[in-house]
Amino acid sequence: MNQTGTSFGWVEVVLAIVKILIIIGFCLNFSAIAVWADRRQSAMIQHRVGPNRAVVNLPSFIVQGILVAPGILLGALAALGLGQAHTPQAAIDRMGVSLQLIVLVGWFNLVVLSWRIHRKGALNAFEQAVGSNLPRAYFYAGLAAHVVVGLLTMGLSRRVADGQMSADGAYLAARIASVVLGGLLGASGVYAALRIPKGTVGIRLAGTLHGIADALKMMFKEDFIPKNADRLLHALGPMIAMFPALVVMAVTPFGDQLCFQDVNHNGAFEFSELLRVKGAMARDAVCEGHSVPLQIVDLNVGILYIFAISSTGVIGAAIAGWASDNKFSLLGGLRAASQMVSYEVAMGLSLMGLFLIYSSLRFNPMVQWQNDYAWGIFIQPLAFFMFLAASMAETKRVPFDQPEGESEIVAGYFVEYSGFKFGMFMAGEYVEVLTSSALIVTLFFGGYTLPFLFADGIDVTIGSTQLFAYKMNHLAVTVIQILTFFGKTLLMSWVVIFFRWTLPRFRYDQLMKFGWTKLLPLAILNLAVTAVGVVAIDAAGPGLHATLKLLGQLSHLLVAIGILLMPIGIVWLFLRPVESTRFLKSSSARFANAAGGVKPTPMQA
Amino acid sequence: MTIDQTKTWTKPKGAQTTTKVVARPTRDFEVQSYLPAVAKGLAQTMSAFFKNTKEMILGQKKDPVLESLSWGITTISYPEEKRPYTDRFRGLHRLTIRDDGSPRCVACLCCSTVCPAQCIHIEAGEYAEGDPRRGYERYPKKFVIDELRCVFCGFCVEACPCDAIRMDTGLHAVPYDSREQFIYGKDLLMGFTGRDGSRLTANPRHEPGDETHPGLDREQAH
Repeated sequence: MNQTGTSFGWVEVVLAIVKILIIIGFCLNFSAIAVWADRRQSAMIQHRVGPNRAVVNLPSFIVQGILVAPGILLGALAALGLGQAHTPQAAIDRMGVSLQLIVLVGWFNLVVLSWRIHRKGALNAFEQAVGSNLPRAYFYAGLAAHVVVGLLTMGLSRRVADGQMSADGAYLAARIASVVLGGLLGASGVYAALRIPKGTVGIRLAGTLHGIADALKMMFKEDFIPKNADRLLHALGPMIAMFPALVVMAVTPFGDQLCFQDVNHNGAFEFSELLRVKGAMARDAVCEGHSVPLQIVDLNVGILYIFAISSTGVIGAAIAGWASDNKFSLLGGLRAASQMVSYEVAMGLSLMGLFLIYSSLRFNPMVQWQNDYAWGIFIQPLAFFMFLAASMAETKRVPFDQPEGESEIVAGYFVEYSGFKFGMFMAGEYVEVLTSSALIVTLFFGGYTLPFLFADGIDVTIGSTQLFAYKMNHLAVTVIQILTFFGKTLLMSWVVIFFRWTLPRFRYDQLMKFGWTKLLPLAILNLAVTAVGVVAIDAAGPGLHATLKLLGQLSHLLVAIGILLMPIGIVWLFLRPVESTRFLKSSSARFANAAGGVKPTPMQA
Repeated sequence: MTIDQTKTWTKPKGAQTTTKVVARPTRDFEVQSYLPAVAKGLAQTMSAFFKNTKEMILGQKKDPVLESLSWGITTISYPEEKRPYTDRFRGLHRLTIRDDGSPRCVACLCCSTVCPAQCIHIEAGEYAEGDPRRGYERYPKKFVIDELRCVFCGFCVEACPCDAIRMDTGLHAVPYDSREQFIYGKDLLMGFTGRDGSRLTANPRHEPGDETHPGLDREQAH
């Protein structure tokens, strides 16, 4: 709660606008990227390349600038920022962070460089030396170096605590490590820039520029309206379809709160105070300065607002189907409407068990509960699957995309749309994917929290034994929370997109039967069992409570280990050698083999 | 010839019907509960996705022809990457030339006659008075090929008695802006080279009067 009472300030208005811009920017940008990622993934699954042809040709000095600038900026930031510390203990901590970053930047650079050398050849003796090892050798050496540096830092930290190492030594070590890190970052940027050949360089960014190209194409295409269409409703349809998808995100929190100091002690929030973020926060402490909730609006009806708004999205599809003056569109619109009505019930009921457990409809308490005990997916796994299915049906995604079933009704309710109106339907669908993923993350995957990350830092406590603790300041925790929320949302929407390329579409009667005869009874059963369970646990003694709390902490531990192992797994996967078998069955294959296979050639003719 | 009535493709009247019992698809719990199958499918697509993404990013992409029977990305980034054409690939036509730079074509109209697409147009011309070739052979005043109509069958090359037209340039028809640009004239066709970079052919031309000329010509009879 804001301590300033009812005083109205411009700062709050500006902050609200900033929050709205963050959410809308996230939704629109990532919906465009999701459209591209969807196509790209489908291609990769079917052993094609997919959209990767969009290119911007830049003169090489601009590309060199793009490579040099971040390296030097980050390097300067690291050299200046990580070197200062107020206590010897903090100095050793910062030295440890710097050393780990040095190792990270080092092995990453070596992996990339070695890979480039293996593909394109070495330019000089240094590169020949680097290229004599495989990229994965550098990665495994880097992993070992991470462990060694971690042990070294822990040893030094203990020595400082015991007084065996002088404070000056600790400060010097921190400064040297930060300067080396800065130098390494700057040098790697400069070296990368030196490798850029002269002339123009085509930048593809792995094909992500296709999103921009598609948007431009949609803007300049003809806006076709059928002759007998209702022009007003035809124009209104895509807007009504897109608007609810965007405003749903208004109540999902993307962070806990940002607490600013009340410097002038007058209770009013002023612009000068925006830079004074509170240094450290105690756990469960109430913000004594100006609290900014990281959520556009904290409604007390919370999730009911989402149910109310998201179900109006179907009106857009229904209106579009009706106004297009096309039988296929009308069928698509009708299918969308009936599907939405059917699955809205199961969707709401599947979450009732969670509300009983969280005992709140607002999102912040839900997220805090999950952080204190266990993530929603561990306590209500059945509800998760039901809600996932229902929300995919709500967003008209495969396998529930009968409203746009190509094999039967061409493209459903947007058959008669082209140009930017079609683009709005498309973007609206992917914004819905993002918002439903955000909802799933908030309800079932701990929202913006990470296991063992609290307002005052990391605290790994299992039962009553503390395994690891690390104090962090308020700003760092908040930034990690925001990144966590958006990262989790992207990961979840990636999974949702993945269903599209795996599952075949249901038949329409199967869809209805699944919704009414399977999902709805299961949701009611889940609610009944959960209600009994909640009452029983409330009535049980403190022994059961302690056991459940311990189980929750174990689930957190499981998730934390998974999060730590994931990057290692991804890098391991990417550096694994390729197993390749050659078939020279056909005469053309034999000829191509003799001629060197696919080869880059200059454009002829 | 009499038809053996006992061996018909349809079932003879009164013959016993034989049936084959086909087992019903299993409807056990794993299939009916749907979720295990979904998990299996997701594992399948995800493994393909990760494998292909990795091989794409790291440049370990397999050659689509050489690896045609194994899994992996099979797209070529044309035009940066090209597949080598076989030596027998029929590309755009060219008119071969003699040592003095004139076309080998003698305007016999064999190619335009055999052309199934009727895309070759030749106007024959007589050599000037006093030219040793006059009355012996003619030359093409116009030699036009509509490359849009051409079906690249190669009949013209086979029909040519003088090795004057060839399709060994290794070039595609280029995507031009208008149809007129696809109509190639004599000078353009004579400008193309074969894949060896030569505008001549390996087959020597024996002009009348040369030592190597085998048969009758105007001056001498063997």
